[in-house]
Amino acid sequence: MRKVLLVVSLLFACLVMAQLAADVPRNETFIANQLTGRVGTPGNFNLWAGWRWQDRGIQNLLLEPLWCVEYATGEIINALAAEPPIYNSDFTELTIKLRKGVYWSDGVLFTADDVVYTIELLKRVPGMSYNAQLQEVAEVKKLDDYTVVVKLTGSNSRFHTYLLDRWGALRILPKHVFEKVEDPMTFEFNPPVGTGPYVLKGYDPGGYWTLWELRKDWERTPTGMLYGKPAPKYVLIQTFGTAEQQVLAMARHELDAADLTMEGLRAVLQRVNTARAWRRDFPWSVNIDPCVTGLHFNNAVEPYNNPEVRWALTLAIDIVEYAGNAFDGAVTLSPIHLPLTSAYYDWYFTRIEEWLKSLELDLGDGQKFKPYDPTAGERLAEYAKKRGYKVPTDPGEIKKIFGPGWYKYAPDVAEKLLIKNGFKRDPKTGKWLLPNGKPWTITILTTTNPAHPSYRNGFAASQAWKKFGIDVTVMTSDALATLGQRGEFEITTDWPAAEPWGGHPDLFRVFDPYNSEYLVPIGENAPWGNYGRWTNPEMDAVIAKLKDTDWNDTEGIVTVGLEGLKLLIKEMPGIPTFNYPGVVAWDEYYWTNYPGAENMYCQPYHHWPNFKYMLPFLKPTGKK
Amino acid sequence: MTQAGAFTRPGIFSKEVEVLRFFRTYFLPRILIYFLVIVVGVTIVFVIPRLLPMDPIQQMIGQITSTGAYLDPKAMNYMIETLKELYGLKGSLWEQYWSFWKRLFRGDFGPSYFQFPVPVISLIRQSLPWTLGLLLTTTLVSWILGNVLGALGGYFPQKSWAKILDVISMVIRPMPYYVLALSLLLLFAYFIPVFPLGGGFLIGGRIRFDLRSILILLKHAFLPAMSLILLGVFLWFQAMKLVVQSVKNEDFVSYAKLGGLSQSKIVRRYVMRNAMLPQITGLALSLGQIFSGALITEIVFSYPGLGTLLYNAIFTGDYNLLMGIMSMSIFVITTSILVIDLLYPIFDPRVRYR
Repeated sequence: MRKVLLVVSLLFACLVMAQLAADVPRNETFIANQLTGRVGTPGNFNLWAGWRWQDRGIQNLLLEPLWCVEYATGEIINALAAEPPIYNSDFTELTIKLRKGVYWSDGVLFTADDVVYTIELLKRVPGMSYNAQLQEVAEVKKLDDYTVVVKLTGSNSRFHTYLLDRWGALRILPKHVFEKVEDPMTFEFNPPVGTGPYVLKGYDPGGYWTLWELRKDWERTPTGMLYGKPAPKYVLIQTFGTAEQQVLAMARHELDAADLTMEGLRAVLQRVNTARAWRRDFPWSVNIDPCVTGLHFNNAVEPYNNPEVRWALTLAIDIVEYAGNAFDGAVTLSPIHLPLTSAYYDWYFTRIEEWLKSLELDLGDGQKFKPYDPTAGERLAEYAKKRGYKVPTDPGEIKKIFGPGWYKYAPDVAEKLLIKNGFKRDPKTGKWLLPNGKPWTITILTTTNPAHPSYRNGFAASQAWKKFGIDVTVMTSDALATLGQRGEFEITTDWPAAEPWGGHPDLFRVFDPYNSEYLVPIGENAPWGNYGRWTNPEMDAVIAKLKDTDWNDTEGIVTVGLEGLKLLIKEMPGIPTFNYPGVVAWDEYYWTNYPGAENMYCQPYHHWPNFKYMLPFLKPTGKK
Repeated sequence: MTQAGAFTRPGIFSKEVEVLRFFRTYFLPRILIYFLVIVVGVTIVFVIPRLLPMDPIQQMIGQITSTGAYLDPKAMNYMIETLKELYGLKGSLWEQYWSFWKRLFRGDFGPSYFQFPVPVISLIRQSLPWTLGLLLTTTLVSWILGNVLGALGGYFPQKSWAKILDVISMVIRPMPYYVLALSLLLLFAYFIPVFPLGGGFLIGGRIRFDLRSILILLKHAFLPAMSLILLGVFLWFQAMKLVVQSVKNEDFVSYAKLGGLSQSKIVRRYVMRNAMLPQITGLALSLGQIFSGALITEIVFSYPGLGTLLYNAIFTGDYNLLMGIMSMSIFVITTSILVIDLLYPIFDPRVRYR
């Protein structure tokens, strides 16, 4: 009995310290947390048949898209495609040229047959991803092994964007695997076969981790061809239940890259001396995320259907106080309906700044007001400095970090605009009354996650408008997506406009949801990006022009894009406040050369499809 | 003949009558209530998710678009119609209710909406062994330990070990479970790093039926189990202690003492046996609740199970998955209560003779 106990104790002791299996050396493994949480279907990798937690490594390690957005450098990466999309003159035909020499991980050559088969299969089987979008394909055929032509039922100059990976895309599946399958919807695609640099090594049947191993023939993948050999031999994508667990894992050097809350990041930076954030100093957060946050008005509900009311609410915000309340000032302000990433800053902000400075609002009685404040970014930097943070002194750097400017805090002007529109203050309480004499109350609908920028926007707006004299309630709900689409809200903290592509100047994705063709009454589904049901004939004209502008005509696209942006600013259907402040923490104990603010060779998130393009640049420290 | 026979054998006749009476007044009403509770419970489970402001299709579209994928507004309506068709959400509420019952009888809960087309039953099957393994063990261990300690602590309150147990229970019981679980994690996975931070099994390893795998499984289950047992033991301990303190002052205990019975016999046969009755009912309820999982445990320790499955089903509006887990839970709770109810006469002769 004693002997048995001894053996058991020894075995237990041996197992105690091991985090990874013996054949997976820690110093050859890159460990990242999984953004979307525990995988519900651990043995199923068929992401063409529904939600499959693709950031578990399916999109970021296993598969390559045709094209991929790279918002850090402002480019579109030709991955499986050899060159940008080619359209005919009336945009009814798309030609795709494919990269040569790419092999699937099981050794089969990737060719045009895979692309043709993918499109035909997904179009044919209801319920498969992109089945709805592919109904506009009239015919797809290969011209040769590396050229595919897609004929459309009508004109669509942006059809290829379905194949453009931006945390989601129609990705090409292996024909030689799927053609043998009876039902592609129930097929589990396990073990999965991909064109990316990693293959599946193992997964947790409980859904908490997925382990990937570098392909021996990594040089036959687009990643290998474009960027070289990925440094880690293994990549582990792991779900940690709580932020606290991630902090502990980083402290034990059992986690190399994590998405954290700002509070979690501060804890990691204090505790782990090898940890770093995207920016090494304040404000630490990622400000190149291709989303702009803010507030979204329901234009089908009075008084939010009035642009002057929307402007009054904008001017009732002291943006420095607002950013301070939301994120202690650790944000990049954006006065336009785009995130001010380096690329959008250059493409759009530099060309719209003068117009912003000259923009005037009509206050009635011949009074005009210029709302733009080009010093807002500097004021925010000053706030951060007073809070004791280290802030750069170079004005150019301040503009890039804290934003160039925003709108003035002008409650007096907001008051004039409201009075002009029949609002008045209650003489007893000083609070605002609607034109019909009833008290003005606002309900802001937001998410239930307190760390989310939407939530922070909701409460910051509530504080600003309460100060201005309006009764504001913030309603948090997990049914945000449903209530938003149905238009069952007054103001929501959904993005003020749909996200742009990120790595391309085209704003079709931002503007198209405003197309009056899609306008629906409250209770029906509105397109994402315009849950607020705002339309305008001028915007319809902008969308039509953009549809007729080729994807590769950068100058033409930017010119039309500027028209649309100016209209959005004049009408303010949603208030843009600041870039999405992404929070990533990296541990430099085992790996270095991360794509931080000082070295932006790639976007920084490990859950994005571009993660595989980051891995060749990582350098091992050699620690055991 | 029968009547004559019956009159000639009065003992048998009265036993038959007794069984019949027991069947009519005790067994039958309970069986009827059992089925009624199941029907009402399952109906509520069908109705409640449909009253939520969440629509599974809109939640799915929200998920797709919020993560960055582009969904052309023109294609959206086509997609909504296709998904309605596939999810079986096209008919009237009554038709959906009827088909739900038909499927239920076949043991089929339909496909999960959020993880379409994966059947709900296979999702439950994946998570259930982890939940059963963890919660069945911890519930039974907590129940046995808590009741034994509670009975002894209640009978011998002046002993020093009973006082120590009292103090410990006063510290642990009011502690929020999350804080207790996180403290254990901090202590044994960070300050004294002898246990993993989370997960159900060694990363990169494969579960096999050998000693090594069992030890790894135990190691990963240790902290979650410990957190549940600590809280559970002291919950049962306090409840049992209170019951015992009341029972030990009953006349029959005094009578037994006067009768000269040994103290251990009094504790086992007179005090514990009487005090156990409410605890047995409590155990039945606790066993039934296993099927709802242990959400906070799963989140804090990244441990697989039904809790996170249920949680995700709620906030993605996955009616089928929600109905699958809840229906199973209703079935198990009602069945365990029925079984305990039917076995009650064995534990409590008073029920038998009533």
